[in-house]
Amino acid sequence: MIEFLALPALACALLVAIHAYFGLHVLRRNVIFVDLALAQVAALGATAAFILGHLPQSPAAYAYSLGFTLCAAALLASTRAWSSRIPQEAQIGVIYVVAAAAALLVVDRAPQGAEHIRQILTGNILTVGWTELAWAAGLYAVVGLLHSRLKWTGWPGDFAFYAAFGLVVTSSVALAGVLLVFAFLIIPAALGVLHAERFRTQLFIAWGAGSVVAIIGLALSYALDLSTGATLVCAYGAALAIAGLSRLRSRLLRYARWGVAAALAASALWSAALPRADHPLLDAVELVAPKVRAAYMDEKSLGIAAEAESYAQRYRGEARKLRDQEAERRWKGEPMEEMEIRRIASFLKSYNEMIKGEAFVAREVRSRAREARRWAIAGGFLLLAALVVGLPSRPPRPLQAPSQPPLPDR
Amino acid sequence: MEVVATTAELHSLALAVGGDAIAASFLIPAGQDAESFQPRPQDLARLRDARVVLRVGLDYDLWLDRALRPLRNAVVVDASTDVALLDVRGGGIGPGDGHAHGRGNPHYWLDPANAEMITGTILETFARVDPANAKRYEANRLAFLSRLEALMPEWSRALQSARPIIAYHDTWPYLARRFRLRIVGIIETRPGVAPSPAHLAQLSRMKVAAIVREPHEPRRDADFLAARSGAKVAILASGIGTVPEARDYLSLIDYNVRTLAAALK
Repeated sequence: MIEFLALPALACALLVAIHAYFGLHVLRRNVIFVDLALAQVAALGATAAFILGHLPQSPAAYAYSLGFTLCAAALLASTRAWSSRIPQEAQIGVIYVVAAAAALLVVDRAPQGAEHIRQILTGNILTVGWTELAWAAGLYAVVGLLHSRLKWTGWPGDFAFYAAFGLVVTSSVALAGVLLVFAFLIIPAALGVLHAERFRTQLFIAWGAGSVVAIIGLALSYALDLSTGATLVCAYGAALAIAGLSRLRSRLLRYARWGVAAALAASALWSAALPRADHPLLDAVELVAPKVRAAYMDEKSLGIAAEAESYAQRYRGEARKLRDQEAERRWKGEPMEEMEIRRIASFLKSYNEMIKGEAFVAREVRSRAREARRWAIAGGFLLLAALVVGLPSRPPRPLQAPSQPPLPDR
Repeated sequence: MEVVATTAELHSLALAVGGDAIAASFLIPAGQDAESFQPRPQDLARLRDARVVLRVGLDYDLWLDRALRPLRNAVVVDASTDVALLDVRGGGIGPGDGHAHGRGNPHYWLDPANAEMITGTILETFARVDPANAKRYEANRLAFLSRLEALMPEWSRALQSARPIIAYHDTWPYLARRFRLRIVGIIETRPGVAPSPAHLAQLSRMKVAAIVREPHEPRRDADFLAARSGAKVAILASGIGTVPEARDYLSLIDYNVRTLAAALK
């Protein structure tokens, strides 16, 4: 696992390093979705280059991407002038949708064009290579250093920021994909802002927390066999939620009690009114502890449900065996005749219908039991709600509001 | 007779049967993702004027259902009707451990032998809608099938290899069955969901001769596995126009066979 995830972990640390820095600026400027707009504009530039006859990944294609990004940077730097009437985020949103739509229109005129937009916007952190990582590290170091040394203000300062940021985002989106780059940009910076006031401290917290969460996300993705980009984004989301909740824990305890009680009371009403409908709370409890069903289902019903599940399992196994047998015979042994293929397809359809039938039986038996015991179930939920409300509690401590982050000390 | 096909492959097969007696067009531009296609105003106008509409079926061109609602006179033909389907999983979209199309893998045209069934369905429809030209359609189809039969032994000889292959997406089961190809792994097991590290690690341990992807599929994952296993990456085309060499149905199959044969050498 370590051999496989070492390079992605290094890439994550590098991406966190540069994006946390820009993320703090983005949060301060309140232009949260600017990276999506810049990445989309860069993709539009690469597509235009392809239409004009330049090969993807050629210097010309990169120059077009860069040119389009710089134009977008100039436009974004000008949006502040209109922000008293139209919020900057709205203007950024317009740039994003227009760039995305224009790219679609351009692609429509080019055979095999859509692939170039996809290749630019769908990086995969898992398959990053040493060479591209070295290139990215060099670019990020130069851009980060130059931007941190620049003392420009007003429109030139804004333009320098968006241009530098555009350069970084165009390269990082190709490495890690749009979703993950957005998470790298905003969440570590938000963790820093949540726990510190000085820019430098915020940056160190963002780097440390961002890298640790990335390693946890990568490990989870491997252990649970999940898509890496999506797992990392969810890990960052969870980290921010935990950090936010930990700051609000005294107030949270007070409100959580009422929230849980309200959910239990709503489930009580829902169970009494529509016992055959979906019951998310009860279903979740049963998923964790299937024995809870015994509280409202008699032995006969439980037996029927268990039998239906075992039949469904058997049919799934038979269907899998048939599919595997057919797949193996594509290359091994005598090839299957057309009739045999049709017969297998017909069996598979039948098995799938039978699996659906067994699932229907199990659900119907459970729904009937819930209907028969609707008042007992509703009463149980109400009792739980009353217990939660009646729990002893400590008076909450006054909450300290976080102060506005100061300007960065470059 | 106006004929509109959803894909360029069905359009090519319709032309093979209809010849000069039909005016055929197709809706999805070459190289575009057929499953997420959105018809444009001119497409709707073409559908309105069509006498016959040919579709792939098997949830591949679901977007056509909405476009067909206002049509009254067109005969809509599902070209998968007589094909022996692979990877049948269920009655429709739902959770599963493979391709999202529960009714069967929809890339059936990639087996050249299935062209016989597809053109049979097309012939039956054309002859019913335009009986005056039925004999002409039949002769066209027989001429096309004889060209296809002449190429089949050559293609089979070119792909006589039991060396294992990894495919980016589960697009090739029909081609694999026809030419006895051994596809041992799929990179993207669920459409649109990037592979997990554990899955990529498992694939990277496999000794394979070639990794197959289409031009629109992410290059990075295939290149990553190729670098680790030393396998060649073969860019195949599932549709006409996806690569310049695939100009019609026969050249599409020919391109795939030659590209794959070169990678498996």
